[in-house]
Amino acid sequence: MTPSRTKFYLDKQNKKFLGVCSGISDYTGVDATVIRIGLLLAIFMSGGTFLPVYFITAWMAPKKPTELRYEDKEEKKFWQGVRSNPKRAARHVRSRFREIDRRLADVETYVTSSHGRLAREIDSLR
Amino acid sequence: MLELLVPILIMGILFIGLPWIIFHYVTKWKTAATLTREDEDLLDELHDLARRLDERMCSIERIMQADNPNWRQLGCDPASLGAGDLGLGRDREAAGRDPLARDYGGSVQPLRSNQPDRRY
Repeated sequence: MTPSRTKFYLDKQNKKFLGVCSGISDYTGVDATVIRIGLLLAIFMSGGTFLPVYFITAWMAPKKPTELRYEDKEEKKFWQGVRSNPKRAARHVRSRFREIDRRLADVETYVTSSHGRLAREIDSLR
Repeated sequence: MLELLVPILIMGILFIGLPWIIFHYVTKWKTAATLTREDEDLLDELHDLARRLDERMCSIERIMQADNPNWRQLGCDPASLGAGDLGLGRDREAAGRDPLARDYGGSVQPLRSNQPDRRY
């Protein structure tokens, strides 16, 4: 059974310190550097009270399972979309199917309405 | 009087009010619609299926393009094509507007020019 793709994991592969920020980046799709700078700003602004949050997160969140690997960027992005808005992601898949349907219909109309290759070959023999 | 009231108030807020709010939102968050594992697997499968169909559609369109000179449609954008099976992923960007001209290369080109450009 594959691990859940909608959970928050620590991303130890792209970590700088404990992998929390890279995990957030992996989860949301926001650039890790932006999150790190945001976290540092939050720590400074709060005078250090934000620091335990980081460690608690690092302690509580599970590591990203090694089986959970996306084949390419597109799939990763798709799952980030699912996490933020499952409905929209489902609609996106539906729109892809509709697009394929439309293109297939185009091909079908072309093939059925034209006489096709055979007619052209007969024509060229004339 | 005030010295007695303030600690009670603070204790009340700290130990009753705050957990109350937290648990209220935790339960709310938990009962909110979430994806079950089945949903997740289904979505994964559908997404994968859509991608594969997309690739198939692209190859069909490429065949159509090669066989029919006046087939105008170029539904697939070069980046999302199944680049792996043709090993042309890198060149695709360079091919720009008409990736098919490159894919089919010289073998189809003469055939294309031989055919009279006719619409049936």
